[in-house]
Parts: sequence; structure tokens; C-alpha cells
Amino acid sequence: MSRKGKLTLERKLSLTGWAFLLPATLLILIFSFYPMVQAILLSLKAGRGAQAHYALTNFTRLLQDQTFRQCLFNTIFYFIVQVPIMLILALVLAVLLNNPRLKGKAIFRTMIFLPCATSLVSYSMIFQSLFSTNGFINVLLTGLGLEPVRWLEQAWPARIVIVIALIWRWTGYNMVFYLAGLQNIESSVYEAATIDGASPVQQFFKITVPLLKPTILLTAIMSTAGTLQLFDESMNLTSGGPGKATMTIAHYIFETSFVMTPNFNYSAAMSVFILVSVAILSAIQMKIGDKRD
Amino acid sequence: MKKLILSVLVALTVVATVFAGGASESQSASSQDSNTLTVWAWDPNFNIAALRAAEALYQQDHPDFSLNIVEYVYNDIQTMLITAAEAGNLSTLPDIFLMQDYQFHTYANRYPEVFTSLNDSGIDFSQFTAGKTADSNVNGNQYGVPFDNSTTIFAIRKDIVEEAGFTVEDFMDITWDQFIEQARVVKEKTGHPMITISGGSEIIIEILQSAGSGSPVVNGELNIADNEVLYKAFEIYKTMYDEGILVDYTDWNEYIASMNNGVTGGVIQGCWILASIEAAADQSGLWRIVNIPRLGDVEGATNYANIGGSSWVVSGNANTELAIDFLRSTFASSTELYDQVLAENSVIASYLPAADSELYGSEVEFYGGQSVYADIVEFAGNVPAIDYGNWYNEIRDALNVALTNIVQNGADIRSEMQAAEDTARFNIGL
Repeated sequence: MSRKGKLTLERKLSLTGWAFLLPATLLILIFSFYPMVQAILLSLKAGRGAQAHYALTNFTRLLQDQTFRQCLFNTIFYFIVQVPIMLILALVLAVLLNNPRLKGKAIFRTMIFLPCATSLVSYSMIFQSLFSTNGFINVLLTGLGLEPVRWLEQAWPARIVIVIALIWRWTGYNMVFYLAGLQNIESSVYEAATIDGASPVQQFFKITVPLLKPTILLTAIMSTAGTLQLFDESMNLTSGGPGKATMTIAHYIFETSFVMTPNFNYSAAMSVFILVSVAILSAIQMKIGDKRD
Repeated sequence: MKKLILSVLVALTVVATVFAGGASESQSASSQDSNTLTVWAWDPNFNIAALRAAEALYQQDHPDFSLNIVEYVYNDIQTMLITAAEAGNLSTLPDIFLMQDYQFHTYANRYPEVFTSLNDSGIDFSQFTAGKTADSNVNGNQYGVPFDNSTTIFAIRKDIVEEAGFTVEDFMDITWDQFIEQARVVKEKTGHPMITISGGSEIIIEILQSAGSGSPVVNGELNIADNEVLYKAFEIYKTMYDEGILVDYTDWNEYIASMNNGVTGGVIQGCWILASIEAAADQSGLWRIVNIPRLGDVEGATNYANIGGSSWVVSGNANTELAIDFLRSTFASSTELYDQVLAENSVIASYLPAADSELYGSEVEFYGGQSVYADIVEFAGNVPAIDYGNWYNEIRDALNVALTNIVQNGADIRSEMQAAEDTARFNIGL
């Protein structure tokens, strides 16, 4: 009797927990995992409708596709150049804003975070007009006695515009995570360090960075996933141009699905490629970043 | 146990609420009401304005009739068509939609179910310009009612060429070599480029079309790498670009501004660009329209091409009878309608009988009294038909990359043409 009662209570508690988890779990299963499984199945098929059959042609095609190679290069370039600059900048800004003696902190914080609140499309359009041939940036350059640059018509300047745009858009977002992380570091730690004669630079590297490591890891993984799936900037700011010089993989997936003659099987194969890359890169980052014990 | 049941119930309610939204929307997007047609189109000042005029016309005989016009940019229409066709559920489609001419072959071959053949519609398609009718005729089925005239024109600033010592007539019926020679002088004497464009490959496509059947890009097979016409087109473009005769603007607004602010001495574009040119009212009397230059040493090359037009489609999910009757009574027979949309929205028809009206022959003040509409319809009659098979986008995309490499990176034209063929071939070999 008592044994049975105990079990019921335990089971009751655990079932209540599961019941609370149920809606979210169901939604994730239906709207995220089910499409993902379908996409993987789609990527393994060739042909359309009744002629569809399982084959690896989409993945062998991936290896031969010059355009895909170009898009992969562009995406990796954005990843390698933009993510470190952005994260370091976000960290520096967060540390500056965390200074208790700084005045007008709220204003600065809002200003730096504000780009994140703008729509991806509208900010892309604004950057496009800023960097157009007769745009504000070129007017500024001419005013300073420098040569104007045809930003969006040459490969490397166009890629750099995308990197600048990304940094502008996402630095504030990452900074907020760092600020939250910094709030959790006891100020007594810094006081003790100051009494022991540690310089601000030493404090930054010996206290702030190690204690923020979990947050840094989080932002690094999020930025990696975000950059590999980059779409809006490539689509709206440069249209992937000039040629295919700034097109990202996600943009190319869109092209093969909805602009060129639709080939959803191949698009799905490229999506699977992105999924695997994000998983591998995240695993590496966690291996390097997470050194607890 | 009560709590458990309660929480499960709450959970199910939440899930059910999430799905509830979908159910009510699963009705057909095309109209259930027998007097209403749903239409997808873009551009409120052009296509949609014409639809409104057609609706008013049809209402004269059918007082209960109405159109439910939904404005979508073309890319969205395209995405929604593909989604509906791939999902095998056409119920989201409207009765009528507007479609870019160059995409009929691609989609009608792949998704014929999205279209309704108009062969037995009673519409006389011989009354439309031949080139456009051919664009929407796939496998013997007529899938589109041609709408706007998209003949390529060369709009010229009379004052600028005269300042350089030329007349407008000097730019009529000429070859590209003559054009480049004269444009050099214009550039030297006035500082104005003779052409501005936005997104370079358009002009390459137009040159290819104007060259006629001599060396088509698709000839049963892809014919890009060894295509002499294409080589000349790239060469002409590069010369003009390098010498500043032609300026390319990535940004469409800058491109339009180059005409309205008097930067350029002229522009080569589909005749729908007239509305943008006329936006600069202070330039009234300064513009003239001529035909585009031709390739001098290519046999059969003409001074005519077209670009960027569209046609009406009755979808595979339509109130077919009403949709066809509406199109037949308006866009396929009413010169009155075409007169009205020409006067109000500068829509130039591809419906040939429309060109006989008084309005089409009238002299237009903005163009110094030139009867531009009659001239454009005359140009339209001379445009050679061109067929890209099902692969317009793939070919255009490959040419675009090649052009960028040639112009921006100084790449070798021959090797870029080979690369373009390889890319197009790869993308086509699905």
C-alpha cells in the first residue's frame, strides 16, 4: 500500500513534468525535426514525382559544382574574417560599458544594441545605398580627398561591405550576452586584483576572459551557425554579385529552388551540407572552449 | 491524477491552438464567388492600373463582376507557383496571374498543371505581336494572353547629341561600330556617356536577340563557347565600358536618376522605361526614340529586340469560364481599354489592332512631337523571335558571371565563354 502510494507520487511528479514539456516538444518535433528528416530524405533522392528514387547524385554533384565552391569560399571568408572581429569588438564594448564610473551608460548600450532591432532587409537596403557609386561613403571619401571606390561592383570591396554590414548589425547583439555575463562576475574579484596590483589589461585577460568563457563559447557557436546560414545580406545588399562573388551557400540554395529551374533535391543536399558543417564546427569549438575539468 | 489530466489537457489545447490558424486558411485562394476573380500582379501604376481599367470595362456588361487584385512582386508569385506545384496542391493559386514572358517555357514544361491552355478560348492570338505570343506558347499550347509591349528602344537626349555635332537621325538604323565611334565623340565633347544600364547582362541578351537566327545561344544544344555573336556582344560591351561610353549602376534608383538628372545621353531598355524617363517633366521636348544599333558584320542582324514583358495566365485552379471570358472581352479585344491605359499609365500594347487608334498615332509633346507609340509598335513588328528553351535563367546567369569577370577582372573573353557554357551545362544537367 505504502509502496504503491510512493510510486504514484513519484510518477505523478515526473508525469506532470513531462506534460509541461509536451507542447514545446511536440511543436519542435513537428515543425523542426520532421522537416529536417524529410529534407535529409529529399537530399538522397533524384528525380521528381513518380520517377523519384534514392541515389547519391546530389552529393556527387555538390563536389563538382563550381558555383557551390565559390559560395562556400565566400561563406568561409565571412566566417573567418567577420566572427573574430565582431566577437572581440563586442567583448571590448561590453567591458567598457560595464565600467561603473561611465556616464550615460544606458544611452550607449541602447545605441549599440539598436542595429539588432532593425529589419535585416531594410538595413541591407540602407547599406546598399550608402555604398552605391554615388552613395554617402563615396561622397565622404571624395570629400577627404580620396579616390571613390566602386564598392558593389568589384568582388573584394563587395565582400568587405558585407563584412562591415554584418559587424554593424550583430556586434550589439553579442555585446548584450557579454554584458549579462559580466554582471555575474563579483566586483570583489576585481577589487582584490586591484589591491594585489593587477593592471586593467591583466584583469581583462586573467579574470574577465576566463570567467566569461561559457558566454564566449555560446556566442561563438551562435555566430558560426548564423554565418554559415547567412542569407539576407547576400540576397538584399549585393544580390550575390558582382557575378557570384558575394553569394552565400544559403542564397545559392534559394537560387536553385526558386530562381533557376527548381531542383529541390539538390537544394536539400546543400542544406544537409550546412547542417553537418555547423555541427562539426560547433563540436570543435566546444572541445576547445569547454575545459571544465 | 486530476492535475495530470489537467496539464495534459492544457498541453493539448496549446498545441491545438497553434494548429487552429492553419485550418481556416486552407480554403482556395481563387474566388469561390462566381462573380469574382482573384488576380495576382505587380506594379500598381502599370499592370494593376490596367487591371482596374479592365475591371471597369467588364462591369459595364456584368454589373455584379469584381476583381480581387492581390499585389505581389514577381519573385513572390514565382515562389508561390513553385511551392503550390511541388506540393501538388493548386488550391492556393488565384484565377489569373501575370507572368514574365521569359519563364513560360521553364514552368509550363515542368508544371503544366499550373496553366490552362487557351487554345480553345476563342481568343485570336494572331492579333498580338508574334514574338510575344511565341514566348507563352509551349508545346503547342497557348498559355498566356500577351499584355505589355516590351520592345527595346534607344531613348536619346536630342540636346546632348546636338551639342556634340550630331543629329538624332545619326543614331537611327546604325551599327554598333558606328555607334561606338559617335558615342566617343559625344563623350569627348560633352562628357556624357551615351548609355546607362543596371545589371549588365540585359544588353548582351538584347544584342543576341537582335542578331536573329544567325547564331542562337540555344540551337537544340547549348551554343555559348563558340558563339561568334556572343563574342562580339561581349567585345562591344567591354569597349563601351572601358571608354566610359556606357555606365553600369548596380542600384536601380541611381540608374533611373542617371536619366532624370541629365547624366546620360541616352538609354537602351524595354519601352516600359518611358514612364521613368517622363518622370522628369523638366526634360520635356529633349528626348527622342530610335531603334537600337545592330551588329554590322552579322548576316540577318536587325536593329530590334525586346526585354522584360509579361502576359496574363489563367491558372490551373481557376473559374475557367469566367476568367477566359474576362480576358477575351478586355485585353484580347478592347482597343478602348488599351487607349485608356496608354493615356493614363503609358502602357504600350502588344495587341496589334490597338496601334491603329488615333491616340497611338498622336504626336507626343514630351518627345518633341514624335509619334513614339506608333514608332514603337512598328519596331515591335520587326523583333526576331528567340528561343532559350527551358533554360533562360541558367543561361542569363552564366552570361552575367562571364560579363562581370570580363569587365571587372579583365578576364579573357574566350575562356569566360567556355566557362559560361560549362556552368550553364552543369546547371541544366539536372
